[in-house]
Amino acid sequence: MAMSDHNKVLELISQENWEAAAHAMERLDPSEVADLLQKLPFEQQQNIFGRFQVDFAARVVGHFPYYHQYVLLHSRGPEAMRAIVDKIDADDRMRFFDELPEEAWQHLMDELSGAALPHPQRPQVQPVSKPKLPGPSAVVEPIIEARQVQKFYEQPDGNRIEVIAPTNLTLEPETIIALLGPSGSGKSTLLRMLSGLSSPSSGQVLWHGKPLAETHPNVAIVFQSFALFPWLTVCENVEAPLAALGMAKQEREQRATQALDSVGLKGFENAYPKELSGGMKQRVGFARALAVEPEVLFMDEPFSALDVLTAENLRSELMELWMAKKIPTKSIFLVTHNIEEAVLLADRVIVLGRNPARIRANFRVNIPQPRERSAAEFTVYVDYIYKVMTQPQADIAFPSVPGKPPKTKFQMLPHARPGGIAGLLELLNDRGGREDLYHLADELRMEVDDLLPTVDAAVLLGFATLEAGDMIITPEGQAFGNATISAQKPLFREAALTHVTLLQQMKSALDRKSDHALPLEFFRDVLDEHFSQEEVEQQIETALNWGRYAEIFTYDSEDERLILHDNGLSEKAQTERG
Amino acid sequence: MPEQTNTRSGAPPWGIFPAGSSLLRDLPIVFAGLAVFYGIISFAHYGIGPMNTEAEIQLAPSALPKYALFSVIRIAAAYALSLAFTFVYGYIAAYNKRAEKLMIPLLDTLQSIPVLSFLPGVMVAMVSLFPTRQLGVELGSILLIFTGQVWNMTFSFYSSLKSIPREMREAAKIYHFSWFQRFIQMELPYASIGLIWNSMMSVAGGWFFLMACEMFVLGDRDLRLPGLGSYLQTAANEGNTRAILAGLATMILVIVLMDQLIWRPVIAWSQKFKVEQVEAVETPTSPILDLLRRSHLLSLASSWTTVPAREAFMQHFARMHKERRKAGKHSAVIWYLIGATCAGALAYGVVRMLRMVAGVSWPEWRAIFIGAGATFLRVEFVLLVAALWTVPVGIYIGLRPRLSAIAQPIAQIAASVPATALFPIILLLLIRLGGGLGIGALVLLLLGTQWYILFNVIAGASAIPTDLKEVCQIFKLSKGERWRKLFLPAVFPFLVTGFVTASGGAWNASIVAEYFHFHGETISTVGLGAVISDATNRGNFDMLLAATIVMALMVVTINRLVWRRLYALASTKYKLET
Repeated sequence: MAMSDHNKVLELISQENWEAAAHAMERLDPSEVADLLQKLPFEQQQNIFGRFQVDFAARVVGHFPYYHQYVLLHSRGPEAMRAIVDKIDADDRMRFFDELPEEAWQHLMDELSGAALPHPQRPQVQPVSKPKLPGPSAVVEPIIEARQVQKFYEQPDGNRIEVIAPTNLTLEPETIIALLGPSGSGKSTLLRMLSGLSSPSSGQVLWHGKPLAETHPNVAIVFQSFALFPWLTVCENVEAPLAALGMAKQEREQRATQALDSVGLKGFENAYPKELSGGMKQRVGFARALAVEPEVLFMDEPFSALDVLTAENLRSELMELWMAKKIPTKSIFLVTHNIEEAVLLADRVIVLGRNPARIRANFRVNIPQPRERSAAEFTVYVDYIYKVMTQPQADIAFPSVPGKPPKTKFQMLPHARPGGIAGLLELLNDRGGREDLYHLADELRMEVDDLLPTVDAAVLLGFATLEAGDMIITPEGQAFGNATISAQKPLFREAALTHVTLLQQMKSALDRKSDHALPLEFFRDVLDEHFSQEEVEQQIETALNWGRYAEIFTYDSEDERLILHDNGLSEKAQTERG
Repeated sequence: MPEQTNTRSGAPPWGIFPAGSSLLRDLPIVFAGLAVFYGIISFAHYGIGPMNTEAEIQLAPSALPKYALFSVIRIAAAYALSLAFTFVYGYIAAYNKRAEKLMIPLLDTLQSIPVLSFLPGVMVAMVSLFPTRQLGVELGSILLIFTGQVWNMTFSFYSSLKSIPREMREAAKIYHFSWFQRFIQMELPYASIGLIWNSMMSVAGGWFFLMACEMFVLGDRDLRLPGLGSYLQTAANEGNTRAILAGLATMILVIVLMDQLIWRPVIAWSQKFKVEQVEAVETPTSPILDLLRRSHLLSLASSWTTVPAREAFMQHFARMHKERRKAGKHSAVIWYLIGATCAGALAYGVVRMLRMVAGVSWPEWRAIFIGAGATFLRVEFVLLVAALWTVPVGIYIGLRPRLSAIAQPIAQIAASVPATALFPIILLLLIRLGGGLGIGALVLLLLGTQWYILFNVIAGASAIPTDLKEVCQIFKLSKGERWRKLFLPAVFPFLVTGFVTASGGAWNASIVAEYFHFHGETISTVGLGAVISDATNRGNFDMLLAATIVMALMVVTINRLVWRRLYALASTKYKLET
């Protein structure tokens, strides 16, 4: 039976009856069809594939290597192509996207999202005084324009710690912009400069073309910690900014009630914030922000302190208000570390790199609202951002960024714990030594922000490598992940002393001292020249954590001194490895 | 709270006349108001009368109510002054970085100067300001009480301002709060709990030093002001035991009444300013507060006075704020001028002070240093004894919630009785038993300081988490081990806090403990406090200044070298994190 079908198909192909051949093939096993197609000349493949039903095409296409998939997909029109990609099995799709070269991936993403723009991701790194955005937005006058804003902190010794590299940024009307970045990347600092809460160290922020300091911008902020006044009732909290505007009591109350009504808090006017749940508190935060009818609404991680369900709920309600134009706000600027949240809400996403912060990607998200997480193009965007964030050194998708000063940077330790690294490697081992980061994070039920430091640490220590969004274990990593707890220490020690500059420096400094002890302050001073105050503390904490785990040194917390660990361990490690 | 909503949305016209039952409820408030009014009138009448510094203090019990009233008014006036000073000083120190560097160490030093050392300067200034009126001496006495209670309040307010959460502060800024709105809606509520506790301590301190502040010798003038303090002092001088007891009873009655009528309601009311995420299960309550809250008269009065007044202020400052923003910031020149003037005055003061101190002869220096050594030993011994009994007792009580519910109020009343008032009786007993002021001073210091330690230890022990106690049970730790491994380390931070307060208090109290007028003669023992008191009495200002500087230096040095380090250790190593 199968044999006869097979022959019948071959016969139909020889007759060049593509319609019938495609129809006949649909009764065969997809893998068999893939084999058959591969043996045909390319034009014939296209002829047949172009006539498959969407479902069947999706099942067949996964059996081809990525370049082949790519061309086959392009034998269909954009509508059909999108439908097929949607139907491909999620794992296959993810692998396909991962394997595609950037150029092709980018192109495909445009097509899938039905982009009107030829190149949705245009880096904004060129230091032009007037950054042009692609498409129609370039014509519209921006509400806020940041020109070469920079933030640095002056150290007592005159050293400058750069937190945010000179950055250009515009906020156009009718847009939601999401600013993404790992924690400590300066997202919040940038938000505070744009909103006028703090002023840039150099550069300028313009509000409708005038310097921000000389105008009074009508903005509001929704804070991560809600920042409500616990001693004021819900209504008084919402009224407070209106009172600051000099509004009369009656009008104030009316506006506040209206705002509370719009976020679904009617009836809670006389409650105190502490009587409310987290989600309701943030609703008050939104009501307070919306009551002043701000031109720009800033949101600083507004959903991070809420549980997943509440956050999802609040997000969709906000989008409803925004889409239905029930709020007079012209533009929303959202700071978040949650990639999905950014893709879900934003018209434009800006990804920040850190140390110092600079824009690594700035692109439009061309998916119509309301957006579905399960849609193919949604994953495309999410995956793309993962790639940008997981490869801090590479300029993903923008290989032609010119003239970046080759700066020798002090190696920065990711804030991860040895136990976490071991756990991640163990998991990776179980999954065959190679796994997509997206899946890893998903499996661990973690945000990428929480997982990344551990991933970075594993890479830094030579336990793993990253390749196109995949984490691949190295032989050293395999040994470490599989070792018993006591055997892990010497392996970690060896890796740390080979790869981690700071720990090398610490060890050699301690070696050189006759009493093998040094105050921690000494190393703090070394780090002070490279990092901000806060980061120095984090670096010290991580270095202490790793160094003590690796038994490179012990730490006397009372005297704040480091003491070289006696050398017994390293010899033991030598013999164990030999 | 139906009353609140009632007044909020405009009461119906017949609501102006309180219903019959509520008039009964309001009666106590009406009477209290009239009493306060009468008190102020009679005090004012006496204040503007001609100077009568050598007023005969009548020991008849019938004079006691008047004396008590005068003392209360003095303490209240000093407290109001302290509050005003606290707001201004704390505000400037918290918001002006340059001023902060000077103002905080200055506050630290001022705090370590004993009350009596301020006496000559304050008195001379005030009497020369109002040479013929009683007002001058009165103001001097009030200022003296002020110097005894202001510093810790200022510290508390300053540190509260510094610890307002960043996002809350940013909310006030982004919504353009005027300074008035910021003050009444954010800063004052945030600081209120700390300020109230410190106010209680300050007022207790006022009672402690009342005897020294109402009756003193200044050079050749013997100044005495009608009041409870001078009553007790006179009774002690004459050795009139019955009068001493009557005075003591009155004082305790006044203190207990103030606790019930003022502090309890205020504390219960201040619970709404607690910055907490969820509502506490148990909150302090006060029947007086309930009475006030239920009062129609009061809510009517406030809806006619404070509510519209606050509204008007808010509007006014909101307008001012807007105009200020338009006009831009005004020049810093004025501030530089003020700063320079202050710095100049300070420098001049230091030079004058050093020249004065240069006049102190060698034997006098010797006396000062011997006294300093003696007081140092005395204070440390007292702290040791206090710790020896309060730590075990405090832990025992703190671990038993039911016991501490009974013991806490009793201990609080015991602590609120100023040790100085008890002093005559103790001395009487001691002299009968053959002891002298040497032991008496120790007893007085102990009585004055042990409570701080006891309260803190109880608080610490009751804060030990249950799971830690259960761990001890599961592992069957012996009693000794439990104390060493859990109880003592857990109360350590609290113990240090108690020690810091007790140590400062003991140094200050040494001036009244080491030098006493009794039975028509002056008894004193070797000590720095005695040196200061004696120098004040004899009008030897050089000596007074030198001894004061030595005491301030010693207190500040001990704080820096010992307590601050222990505090740092306590807040890192021994902090129980939840």
